[in-house]
Amino acid sequence: MGSLSVKGLVARYGKTVALHGIDLELPDGEFFVILGPSGAGKTTTLKSIAGLVDQVEGEVRIAGRDMTGVEPYDRGVAMAFESYALYPQKTVEENLASPLRSGRNGTWTPQQQAERIKQVTTTLGIDHLLKRFPRELSNGQRQRTALGRVLVRPAEVYLLDEPLSHLDAKLRAAMRAELKQLGELSGTTTLYVTHDYQEALALGDRIGVLREGRLVQVGTPAQVWNEPVDTFVARALGQPEMNLLDAEVSGGEARVGKAFTVGAPVADGRVQVGIRPRDLEIVDQAPSTERLVLHGKVVLAERLGRSVELSVDVAGVQIITVTSDHRVQEGGDVALAVDWDRVHVFSADGARLGAARRPEGVLTGGAR
Amino acid sequence: MAARELGPGQRRFSPASIGADLVLLAWFVFSLFPLVWMVLLALKTDAEQISTYFAFTPTLENFATVLSSEGERLTSVDFTDALLTSVINCVGAVIVSLVIGIPAAYAAGRWKYRGSNDVMFTILSFRFAPELMVIVPLFVIYNQIGLFDTNVGMIWVLQLVTMPLIVWILRSYFQDMPAELEQAALLDGYTRKRAFLMVALPLVRPGIAAAALLAFIFAWNNYVFPLILTGSQNTPVTVAVTRFLGGGGQAYYNLTAAAAIIAALPPLLVALSIQRYLVRGLSFGAVKS
Amino acid sequence: MTTTAPPRTPAPVVQREPRPVPAWRRGLRPYVLSIPAVLIIVGILYPFVLGAYYAFLNYAAVVRQPVFVGLENFANTLSDPAFWSSVRVTLFYAVVATVVETVLGVGIALLLNRSSLIGRIFERVLILPLMIAPVIAGVIWGLMFNPQYGVLNYVLGLGSTFDWLGETTAIWSVILVDVWIYTPFVAILVLAGIRSLPKEPFEASAVDGASWFYMFRRLMLPMMWPYILVAVIFRFMDSLKIFDHVFVLTAGGPGDATRTLQIGAYQNSIIQLQYSRGSTYMFLLWVIVFLTARYLVSVLGKAQRRAAGSEE
Repeated sequence: MGSLSVKGLVARYGKTVALHGIDLELPDGEFFVILGPSGAGKTTTLKSIAGLVDQVEGEVRIAGRDMTGVEPYDRGVAMAFESYALYPQKTVEENLASPLRSGRNGTWTPQQQAERIKQVTTTLGIDHLLKRFPRELSNGQRQRTALGRVLVRPAEVYLLDEPLSHLDAKLRAAMRAELKQLGELSGTTTLYVTHDYQEALALGDRIGVLREGRLVQVGTPAQVWNEPVDTFVARALGQPEMNLLDAEVSGGEARVGKAFTVGAPVADGRVQVGIRPRDLEIVDQAPSTERLVLHGKVVLAERLGRSVELSVDVAGVQIITVTSDHRVQEGGDVALAVDWDRVHVFSADGARLGAARRPEGVLTGGAR
Repeated sequence: MAARELGPGQRRFSPASIGADLVLLAWFVFSLFPLVWMVLLALKTDAEQISTYFAFTPTLENFATVLSSEGERLTSVDFTDALLTSVINCVGAVIVSLVIGIPAAYAAGRWKYRGSNDVMFTILSFRFAPELMVIVPLFVIYNQIGLFDTNVGMIWVLQLVTMPLIVWILRSYFQDMPAELEQAALLDGYTRKRAFLMVALPLVRPGIAAAALLAFIFAWNNYVFPLILTGSQNTPVTVAVTRFLGGGGQAYYNLTAAAAIIAALPPLLVALSIQRYLVRGLSFGAVKS
Repeated sequence: MTTTAPPRTPAPVVQREPRPVPAWRRGLRPYVLSIPAVLIIVGILYPFVLGAYYAFLNYAAVVRQPVFVGLENFANTLSDPAFWSSVRVTLFYAVVATVVETVLGVGIALLLNRSSLIGRIFERVLILPLMIAPVIAGVIWGLMFNPQYGVLNYVLGLGSTFDWLGETTAIWSVILVDVWIYTPFVAILVLAGIRSLPKEPFEASAVDGASWFYMFRRLMLPMMWPYILVAVIFRFMDSLKIFDHVFVLTAGGPGDATRTLQIGAYQNSIIQLQYSRGSTYMFLLWVIVFLTARYLVSVLGKAQRRAAGSEE
């Protein structure tokens, strides 16, 4: 079992710089998720750590050993590719036996191989497919075979590249739960890469948000969700995206259009006020000062199964919220409340400045 | 071949398609008639070859004669020896081209290293270069170093024909091959060489077969190189056939026809077996079907 | 789905001492792989260069010690009417053969695309003339061209004196054989191209009510153009150096009616043993080929880009 340490990783493809200096410190056993949009450099990061990218700079240490210049077959990493990369002319069984036969993952007698393969495939639920070829498998089965090839052999680090991205929604949700179980039980340091924030939040001990080859924020899921370092991170997590409303600050108070005012952590300037749609709640009692309350008219109501996505016009400002309260109708009036510490204030160019607070001059019922 | 999917506006047996069939029929009559004629001619006896056209009694004698010493006596062409020479030369040339060409095609297809395009286009230029430009100096050189009229000499020269084909076709196959399969093999613990042999080579096996067989065909059909660079000892069939009529004395049209058919058979059979890959091969990888 | 606990990852192999491979060694790999091929290339280029060099000598079998004569051979050749006759013959041959084969080949491809029964049967035999050695094709047609015993005069009712390989007819006859051999090449290439075209634009067009002719001119032809061009390039370049079947049919004659440039070079170098004169022919042919190739490839590139653009 090994730790993974990456310092100043720069990766190039020809003239383009794909990674601009990535730093990661993963203690042994950590399940770390890199979240980022396509093209951010997620696969490049994994491949650089695996030794598959030619033009790299910086230091990669696996289990404490410096991997500079070391070939992929000597690094002790196992990788599941987004495209699965299963050997087409080999059966599932032979695909999984391949790493055991190479000689670099220990010596395995044929019985030992068969036994190990049986263990892994039973866990993954594909033990009945051993004699099939990849072209005869469904996407989900291929994905689990690719995972099997990773799990079957000893490795210091697992590298998983968007394993769930080609599965349909239901399968994805089911596999998410399975992966979490597998991750906890195997105890191997894992670097998992995805563009799906739900996977990131569900699976990661820590999350790193990657944007255009740079890690913008690293932290626990709670940290990244509650204290996004900028609007990019804030919008990367959560569906629908966080509402970002322009506001003018004067005298420490940020005024959002004609809609409402919040106390801001800065004295003057332009800021963006951020509120997650799910943090807004429909209330019908008298407004309290413990929370920010917004009054508006429902412009659009999209029913999505159990929840409803509402587009609410608050004095000219559009706010999206999600609720399971179906009583609200289009055209009706509604009051939305959100806790003060769930209201974020960002600078005009995106950096987070802090949480909002009650604006001065309002009768308070207690400190925050 | 399954029923062809109809394009928009097409009906299966419309007047247009019948008309198309008729015009095509005209082409195929033109295309196949000479071949049919050759077969007929080859089946005629010496007397009939000049006295009849379509009505005659067929005989297979000519084929036997061509291949026997009797034929050699009549026409001063040792045809069986020529066949053997063709086989040795072409198989040898293809093997050499494969051994040299596969690594080069892999290097050019997998990495775009500096100079790879120059190397590829230089190889391609051999395809279009006039053969005599190389033959004249080779004629002199071969005579000097004793490669004139030898199998080795021909195998070397045939590289001009076989290597461009093999390298360009295989490069196209290697380019199409996803890199991640080899990367997975590397991470499984295999060295690059083993990963190549285990993963890449099997994937391009059909391409290798197609390229090799197509190269064989073109090497077999080559005429101008052996015409000039071989003498009487090691001539291949293409030259041998042309000698059938020049023997002075009696003209053996029927024997010539029989010899021509024998000479043309191997490439035809090979072509029929690689029909699927022909387009990609003939266009050097430019057109994929 | 999984109720069994996953196997604990087995203990890693401890003796994994990573051996770093320096970057420069990794960079060398493609070059190392290509060395044999490069050696062969050099081995082939050497006679080429030598052949080109001969053009600047006065090399002939009778000359003991050839000496450098600069551009004398070129001056002689370029003022030799025999040379220009060869150029005329070659260009005429290449242009006519390529045009005819392209028109016929495209036509056959289109017809095969549309045909029902005959097309499917005969598609398999389309390739046959191409797979026969051109020289053997020449032998076959030579037998057919025979005025007295050949079948053509008989079947076409031309009597027993019509000379297919006479002064005025020879060039057309050898072009005819070229068409016979190589039209399938064009047809197969273009047919593959047609079959690889996306169906959607045509289906959409049909829904819009377009006629077949319109679809052909506006949709099919532009998209087919790169494939046609590839075929044209190959055919034209090959025609410039045509030798095999022409040589065996006429050996360049009668007179110089069919003396293409390569046949001319052959006569000079191998028959008359005037190596340098033959090399001069080849050098000049090589120049023609080179310039034509560059021009045609650039046209092809433009057509490919245009076709890709028009697909969007």
